[in-house]
Amino acid sequence: MKTIRLDEYAPLVGAEEIAEIRALAACLGSVSLQHINSTSQGGGVAEILSWLVPLMQDVGIDARWTVIEGSAEFFEVTKAFHNALHGMSVEITPEMFALFREVGEQNLRKVDGQADFIVVHDPQPLGLIAAKRQGGATKWIWRCHIDLSEADLRVWGFLRTYVERFDAAVFHLPEYAKELPIDQFILPPAIDPLSEKNRELDPSEVQAVLERFGIDPEKPIVLQVSRFDRLKDPVGVLEAFRLVRRSHECQLILAGGSAADDPEGAQVLAEVRERAEKLPDVHILDLPPTSHREINALQRAAAVVVQKSIREGFGLVVTEAMWKGKPVVGSAVGGIRRQIIHGVTGFLAHTVEGTAFRIRQLLSHPELAAQMGWAAREYVRTNFLLTQYLKNWLLLLLTVKHPWRGSKQWAVFAA
Amino acid sequence: MGHEFQFYSEAGLPVWTGIKASNLRSLQNGIRRVSGSSIFYHVHHALLRRHFTAAEYMNDFARWVWLHLNQPALAEKLASIDPWDFTSVRQVRERLLEYLHTYVGEMETFFRVPERDEFQFLELRSVVFPTGLRARDLRSFHDALQKVGLGSLFYHLVEARLRLGRLSNDFSEWLSERLKEDELAERINDLSPYAYNLWQIRDKIVEMIETRLS
Repeated sequence: MKTIRLDEYAPLVGAEEIAEIRALAACLGSVSLQHINSTSQGGGVAEILSWLVPLMQDVGIDARWTVIEGSAEFFEVTKAFHNALHGMSVEITPEMFALFREVGEQNLRKVDGQADFIVVHDPQPLGLIAAKRQGGATKWIWRCHIDLSEADLRVWGFLRTYVERFDAAVFHLPEYAKELPIDQFILPPAIDPLSEKNRELDPSEVQAVLERFGIDPEKPIVLQVSRFDRLKDPVGVLEAFRLVRRSHECQLILAGGSAADDPEGAQVLAEVRERAEKLPDVHILDLPPTSHREINALQRAAAVVVQKSIREGFGLVVTEAMWKGKPVVGSAVGGIRRQIIHGVTGFLAHTVEGTAFRIRQLLSHPELAAQMGWAAREYVRTNFLLTQYLKNWLLLLLTVKHPWRGSKQWAVFAA
Repeated sequence: MGHEFQFYSEAGLPVWTGIKASNLRSLQNGIRRVSGSSIFYHVHHALLRRHFTAAEYMNDFARWVWLHLNQPALAEKLASIDPWDFTSVRQVRERLLEYLHTYVGEMETFFRVPERDEFQFLELRSVVFPTGLRARDLRSFHDALQKVGLGSLFYHLVEARLRLGRLSNDFSEWLSERLKEDELAERINDLSPYAYNLWQIRDKIVEMIETRLS
């Protein structure tokens, strides 16, 4: 696990914010917490836990992280559930539900019955709720990292019977919440400003990356970072760039993950390449998934960042660009709408034409781009950095530990 | 209020209420039905989340009406609701309903937004906690003020109006009552977070105290 200290973030969020987080943690007192998920490496949840657990420990929580075990068949089932929860058409059989129950029971021994809080991440370990004792002191929290807004009703109907037994559920966005008899908290994800993908870079490092990819450092860059996936609409970005290019000398970079293991991705990439051939100054960068520093450098070099997704979860790639002080022109979908305050921290657009209009506006008015970039960075600083994420977790634990409702809206902790 | 000034801070987490609005009529119904902490979240807490956009600040209701219902005139009206002007959430709710009532009364048909654009009412679970910072006189108040975070400024300046039930704030109350610094107290009370962001307000207060101490 990473070595990570809360105080390292003081230069970025202010010593006063760090002090507030520690003061809030002091209200919680001495508590123990067990995070449970299905993988120790790879994927967004493992990434978040790799810094959340040490940060929780740093503020005095006895936090630990446990990974459930399951056969390859079990993970095929949970992958199918995952796709069904995203609204995809997937064949679901009674045997799949039976295997899910069985693996849940096999993992019950992993639950720390003495912990004050047990946080279960995503659907895979939901079966562990069977270890919850009636009237026990342990508070159980389900942290859902996925978009359930178009969830398959059979799968959700099955999983819901587990979720209802928790003390609280947590979602990224209000749109993901479901009708449940328990409290549902809204806690957006966050980025680590000191990670390789987000840390400050020396201008020479940025320059070196541009040179490596043959990008002209003098010409304004319009950038979209995303997988080569139709839902990210790279073709729409090319179209918007074509409109912008009529009046503005600039270049477009479409930087995405490797499409080697994704047949549809490879097809989209081929289509994008073919279309890009007809346009000047387009760079298609098919990067390996470890290219964090390259992405960081490209975001820092950009004049305008675009995220023209047709559908988006939270869109942390937008958060990353905003943190680098870049104005983002984003589609008015999913979490992009929560991050871009239209006209203040960036622009929301609905069409190719609208996207092109806003890109042109920002390229023509660097002072507007700078002002928006500043506001974007401040918005991320206040709301979407891992320090705020930790603070939100402390609030969540306090709220679940000391539930209150009704007209009295404040829980006051005396000095 | 004791002789010492204790700096507290406030932080909150939103909870989904399950109440949504898809047009003006359902927004009106929602505002009528939701808890006070929901109104607080969408009007007052929105100011904390976007405090650095003070000059362009719009509460969540105004922003939704502007962006999704495309009713700029109503959005302007709703945006004019400055948390600084109210001493209770009830007053804020009444003002919101008053503006909405006028518009709903003038319209016969209601444009409905698609499901993904619905207004989702959230409510806030807040925690108030001591920061450990204290002040006994103007000098120590000045020093401590420079160490407090946004949540503390929000609690003592914005949320204080609701808690005190009058158009004042904790800083002004203490400075006036305990240190007899009436003029300073009054000047601080004129610093609307609708005009300045919370950091700017803090800097201005620090500056005022420095002038007073010099």
